[in-house]
Amino acid sequence: MSILEALLVGLDEARRHLGQTLLSLLGLVLGTGSIVTVLALFGGQTKQTEAFIIEQGGFGAIIVYDREESLQPTPMELASRRLTYRDAAYLKDHATMLKGVAPGYFDRHGYRVGDMDFEGDVIGTTSDYAMINAIFPMAGRYISDLDVRRQARVMVLGWAYADSLFKGRPELALDKIVNLGGKNYTVVGVMEREEFYWAPWSGNALAHRNRRAYIPITTAFSQYTGENDRLDFLTLKAITPTGGPAAEAQVHQMMLSMHGVEDFDIQPLGQRNADDAQFFLMFNIIFLIVGLISLFAGGVVIANILLASVAERVREFGTRMALGASGFQVFAQVIAQVSVISIFGGLLGLGLGAALTGAVAHFMSQPAAVTGSMAAVALGTSLAVGAVAGFYPAFRAARLSPVEALRYG
Amino acid sequence: MALLEARDITKIYRLGRVDVPALRGVDLDVQQGEYVAILGPSGSGKSTLMHILGCLDSATDGSYRLGGTDVGTLRGRALARVRNRKVGFVFQTFNLMPRLTVEENVALPLQYRGGYTRRERRGRAGVVLERLGMSHRVGHRPEELSGGERQRVAIARALVGEPAILLVDDPTGNLDSKAGAEVLETFREVHAAGNTIVLVTHDPNVADEADRIVHMIDGRVAA
Repeated sequence: MSILEALLVGLDEARRHLGQTLLSLLGLVLGTGSIVTVLALFGGQTKQTEAFIIEQGGFGAIIVYDREESLQPTPMELASRRLTYRDAAYLKDHATMLKGVAPGYFDRHGYRVGDMDFEGDVIGTTSDYAMINAIFPMAGRYISDLDVRRQARVMVLGWAYADSLFKGRPELALDKIVNLGGKNYTVVGVMEREEFYWAPWSGNALAHRNRRAYIPITTAFSQYTGENDRLDFLTLKAITPTGGPAAEAQVHQMMLSMHGVEDFDIQPLGQRNADDAQFFLMFNIIFLIVGLISLFAGGVVIANILLASVAERVREFGTRMALGASGFQVFAQVIAQVSVISIFGGLLGLGLGAALTGAVAHFMSQPAAVTGSMAAVALGTSLAVGAVAGFYPAFRAARLSPVEALRYG
Repeated sequence: MALLEARDITKIYRLGRVDVPALRGVDLDVQQGEYVAILGPSGSGKSTLMHILGCLDSATDGSYRLGGTDVGTLRGRALARVRNRKVGFVFQTFNLMPRLTVEENVALPLQYRGGYTRRERRGRAGVVLERLGMSHRVGHRPEELSGGERQRVAIARALVGEPAILLVDDPTGNLDSKAGAEVLETFREVHAAGNTIVLVTHDPNVADEADRIVHMIDGRVAA
């Protein structure tokens, strides 16, 4: 018997035992459907995490921090000047794997315009910061190299600060004076509003980027730190989006030779902020477990039904053997029957999964789609469950002694 | 040379620790075209002998040649092949597949033989059913047939593969006397067409149909 013929026989068997077939199908359909849904949601989540990373400067953006001091620092650690502006300057001149270097000062100061005042974040940095973090001014310009060289008293406002300081008219901030920590600055730019939502009900994951102002890092040092050039962070960008790891390795090696001790941590920028995705991952894992349990239950049901069906049909198998069926052909007959059920179960499950995915994507506004590889995984799983469940009953049928089988019942 | 040559066939069943001999050295020759009845009471070993002659079971000892092939040494798949090509079985209880049509039932041995398209199988089944006067029943299911008709379908199934020998197990045991007589008439016709038949029965009247009667008792051929 060819495979096609075996499947046709299997289809016939499945049709003739419709009740058994439907019961077996149910388990497979639920299991496969659930797995397809999880894979699709998971795929959607991965895409969204990617989108989030790109929104924040894309792949290849790197951030360097001071590592926390040891409880009992070694002399080398104590001697190190930690992360400084000089590190940034050195990397800018010598690191061949980087296309951007932006040293960072971070602190909180009082903001004041007229009768409006509050305390908020300030970032002191250089022109590369905008490129590295993929942020753009909606009016005016960002910090320039000239601002940095001249220690200019200029400021670029984040959208939310411009909005609150200038009463809902952020575009009016340009060329106005803002008092920051007791010093006056001229506003030369207002940044675009940045937003990213993991789901409609979750808040803006990038809101913090709108609540800050940028000033030249040299100005920050001269106005607030008393010429101390210690950095709070250092952001970098690799020359290509995929060049992150290579750039990290080069930076690591150069920093180590400058500091003489590993008192810094290097991380991809996107990864640091993608933790929100973990929450969704947990949901997906729960779904996946439910799917696997359904499939397992489906498999047990199939095995059980097939065993009963084999026991019921012992005489039939004996007759078939008397007519010339080999043990293998009897085995193939049972396996063909379960294969047909598995294929149908897989396909129906795929349909259910696609429908569920569509519903979830629609009602929870989650990006999710069933791809070819997911379909292949789902069908493969269904077939595998069927094969495992069908193997023992098929083996039992094939091992029957024709004489005893004919006497049976 | 005889079509069927069984020499000193012994079959011992092991029940727990006890050996139960079912056949104690049976010799049997059947010639091409012969109609032989094996007659004996239940427990005489006639069914065991039929199973061995039909390659459903193998002898514990002795040699068995069917159509010149030593089948006593064959096992598993090879034995299934011999059953399929050289033996046609007719059972007391018909053993038709209840969910298959008459035509599908008759074509079944050809399906296991392979090499035939569905169309060819149906064609050959149709020819045999026609020969046995059952062509008006091709699309019916066994449950829609009378006992005698079912047995004739079973005979058609046994003949469809043109086997060397027809092995028949008490074919009238489940039939009333009229249907039984019709079935026996069918065997006479089949035999007249040149087929070799070995029929097992405990009914002397049925055995009388055959050219030759082999009496069995206690696992031996009675002299």
